[in-house]
Amino acid sequence: MHELGVLNSMVHTIERIVKEQNVTEVSKLVIEVGELSGMVPRYLEQSWPAASYKTFMENTELELIVIPGIVKCKGCGRVFNAVYSDLSCPDCGCRDMEILEGDDMIIKEIVCS
Amino acid sequence: MKDFKVLEIKTSVFADNNIQAGKLREELKEKKVFLLNLMSSPGAGKTTTLVGTINALKNDLKIGVMEADIDSDVDTRTISQTGAKAIQLHTGGMCHLDAQMTRQGLEGLDPDGLDVVILENVGNLVCPAEFDTGAVKNAMILSVPEGDDKPLKYPLMFSICDVVLINKMDVLPYFNFDLEKCKENIRLRNPNAIIIPISALKEEGLKEWTDWLHNAVISWCE
Repeated sequence: MHELGVLNSMVHTIERIVKEQNVTEVSKLVIEVGELSGMVPRYLEQSWPAASYKTFMENTELELIVIPGIVKCKGCGRVFNAVYSDLSCPDCGCRDMEILEGDDMIIKEIVCS
Repeated sequence: MKDFKVLEIKTSVFADNNIQAGKLREELKEKKVFLLNLMSSPGAGKTTTLVGTINALKNDLKIGVMEADIDSDVDTRTISQTGAKAIQLHTGGMCHLDAQMTRQGLEGLDPDGLDVVILENVGNLVCPAEFDTGAVKNAMILSVPEGDDKPLKYPLMFSICDVVLINKMDVLPYFNFDLEKCKENIRLRNPNAIIIPISALKEEGLKEWTDWLHNAVISWCE
């Protein structure tokens, strides 16, 4: 349940960005959550009211876009979704892989009213 | 219809913390203070390892310790007995320290005159790995009873650490723990990690670790 701490940190990051842009109200945040980021989207949604409580984003809607955890096997080169393959290559069983996408949590858009 | 604008950001949720951590590292460089972030799961032996580390280095380096826990001060009392300057940080329920909390801890400790400050992070293999504290180097302890598969289950923690200490080697015969398999698993996530098996309790294997730390401090403070 580290999602609350991550969202608290995100609030600080957004606070700095909107100050730079001279914005005071944020109506919606669009966040990309990678399947390999270690964040659980359901817990992010549940934690958001607490993370935004008494901040300038108390009434801001949180929209999450889940990014698939895509990796490339360093053994045979197969590209696959690591989450549904138990972190090993479905072809050769190799566990050494390069992450292509889905290991990050990114602020994609800030919708300002 | 109300006017609105969309800011296309594409930045990490950790961006602000990363900026704060970078600033803290620059300030530490100017002050010639080395900050080590020491992480592990609860009970892996951080405090016992620290006691051995301090005893080995205290004649050569001036050492401070910041003990981060959700509650209590048992670790700080143990560390204080070594003569090192120690401070207890309470995270108030949070499972990790971020750069801002680390800065507040350093202000409380007052690192002037110290060569190295060791931050004993909250016992946890998930959250501490996500937040850059501003430390110069990261180290973690994995203990034998936890199992050799932990690098596969907590890949981020192992990928951000410069050193992985494998502790409690003295109880290896009693656990189904394959040291070579563990090293292989760590290298899958972090080919550059320095892996040092130790027994903090028996004070075995600590010299390679304390030599590494000593050299890292000297090169940072030059």
